[in-house]
Amino acid sequence: MPHYLNKIDMSDNTPKEQNSIPTSKVQRSAKFVTTGLKVGGNYIKHYSKKLFNPDLDKTELNEDNASDIYESLSELKGSALKVAQMLSMDKNLLPQAYTDKFSQSQYNAPPLSGPLIVQTFKKYFGKTPDKIYDKFNVRSSNAASIGQVHEAELNGKKLAVKIQYPGVGDSISSDLKLVKPFAFRLLGMSEKELDIYMKEVEERLLEETDYELEVRRSIEFSEACSGLDNVVFPKYYPQLSSKRIITMDWLEGLHLKEFLKTNPSQSLRNLIGQGLWDFYNFQQHELRAIHADPHPGNFMITPDNKLGVIDFGCIKEMPEDFYEPFFSLTSTTLMENKEETIKAFRQLEMIHPGDTPKQIEFYYTTYRQMISLFAKPYINDSFDFGQSAFFEELYGFGEKVSKMPEFKQARGVKHFIYVNRTNFGLYNILHELKANVKTDTFKPHVVEQFA
Amino acid sequence: MATIESIQKAYIDFVLTEGAQPKSVYIFAKKNKMTEEEFYRFFSSFDAIEQHLWTGFAEKTIAEIKAQEVWVQYNAREKGLSFFYGFFELLKSSRSFVVYSVKKQPKTFSTPQIFTGLKDVFEAFCNELIEEGIETNEFSDRKHFTKRYKDALWVQLVFVLNFWINDNSAGFEKTDEAIEKGINVTFDLFQRSPIDNLFEYGKFLAKNGGIKESMGFGHN
Repeated sequence: MPHYLNKIDMSDNTPKEQNSIPTSKVQRSAKFVTTGLKVGGNYIKHYSKKLFNPDLDKTELNEDNASDIYESLSELKGSALKVAQMLSMDKNLLPQAYTDKFSQSQYNAPPLSGPLIVQTFKKYFGKTPDKIYDKFNVRSSNAASIGQVHEAELNGKKLAVKIQYPGVGDSISSDLKLVKPFAFRLLGMSEKELDIYMKEVEERLLEETDYELEVRRSIEFSEACSGLDNVVFPKYYPQLSSKRIITMDWLEGLHLKEFLKTNPSQSLRNLIGQGLWDFYNFQQHELRAIHADPHPGNFMITPDNKLGVIDFGCIKEMPEDFYEPFFSLTSTTLMENKEETIKAFRQLEMIHPGDTPKQIEFYYTTYRQMISLFAKPYINDSFDFGQSAFFEELYGFGEKVSKMPEFKQARGVKHFIYVNRTNFGLYNILHELKANVKTDTFKPHVVEQFA
Repeated sequence: MATIESIQKAYIDFVLTEGAQPKSVYIFAKKNKMTEEEFYRFFSSFDAIEQHLWTGFAEKTIAEIKAQEVWVQYNAREKGLSFFYGFFELLKSSRSFVVYSVKKQPKTFSTPQIFTGLKDVFEAFCNELIEEGIETNEFSDRKHFTKRYKDALWVQLVFVLNFWINDNSAGFEKTDEAIEKGINVTFDLFQRSPIDNLFEYGKFLAKNGGIKESMGFGHN
């Protein structure tokens, strides 16, 4: 039952690795073990308190857990940090205490040493950075989750050079294995169910470590989206990029948080929000593939008030058999047709073949409610994301569902993870912007009757 | 006419093809169309060739890293790291020889003959940067231990060398990680730490005497 105990055994059985690799799986697992123990301890603390005070709610427990998990994750780099970022995006899945703590991890990571940066360049280009660029700052200007960004200059142009931490790809799979027992505790799923989802996450994360792929996609996406108003992309330089290095134009501008501090006017907020909305919905409905990392650090607001998009590391492609049933559910005509709606739910594995009529009815009702909430912005031609009522309803519903025993078992195809994360991420950013946007610019393609 | 370089080159070629040192200098010289005398003018033995090669790796690394523009911006820790990265980058081009040369050494605690020159050059380099680190207060000056700092770095060099020989990750990325993490930890130990403060406190208490008296609260 206590999964962290298994982990202790595992690390004791691998002394060979401990000798050969200074800080690797073993030490990382030790890190997770202590956190696992702490979380376990927090539960004990909670339940012993509850013995004396039955009214105690879980807020304190959640806070204790979140800070322990956060402390441990922030000491790790790479995929663990990524998982932290990921969890922090899914506000709908996690109680408030977790998300507050986790969103801190979007910002800090210890930097790579200057000599390692020089070494990385020598390895991939055979030259030191000062021989490649006219100017190169060995001190990084900020951290990206699996790397860090440096300022450089070439032919009078200011550039951003992203460098990946070594060994990230290798540690992803082992990190995810370590995260699993926790994620399972946190989300209350069984390990077997979690596997399908973990694989999906692993795939995306591994793609993210391939900087050559990222450069290709960045160029593809920025070209495909070049027709959008008010959205700009940096230029990428494939000849100055490699497996671990990406060179692109430096985008001047403010991050979302800094932008909001400048007290932008409502019309400016709407303008930026519209850019975001169009960017995502154009991708979803026209390209059928999305920039699936909508955390605020990936966007800049440029001095001429345009939305700058950086980091195309995480792309989620939506196959037809997911896109069609899912987005058709945003159509009210379909939602009023119970038979067709159930067909869509079945295709999306939200209703399973073995479900009893009672279960079908239950899941139909709950999912219908959930999707109509999600689809609200699509119903009319504009939507005010500034209103808190919508978000309270959304989180409230998420919390309610997470407590239902019927949802202990995971449902829904794996594509939901990234599509949900993207859309809720988008909604959250729009909410922070308090933007009122026209939602009919790029409409979902819907089918009203399934074959 | 034989030169240091031509003898080294011929020697590397020989050991890598045959998997062992030549039976005698006579055979080696004959095979490479030189006289024994010519050989001895440069080297006293085959091991001397290897020793010279290893020393050369260190010297070349130091010259290379010092020529980098960023060198002047580095603090002592970064200079140390820079040596490690540069050294293993350089070894890459002679990996077969390095593996051969290291693997045939007996496993002992004393430094094998062929590494003595390398060790001297490396230690001189380390002393330079440790001195710099102490001057700038980057490292803590601990009477008896400061002299040992360079030994800790040498142990790390030997460790990373063995690690690199067994490293089969693409582009020896694991070695980069071992350096980034391991060498940083070593330098962390040179920094001022709670232990130093504890010593200071102990010294203070000893000097200001009266410990015995002040410990006993029960005096009248």
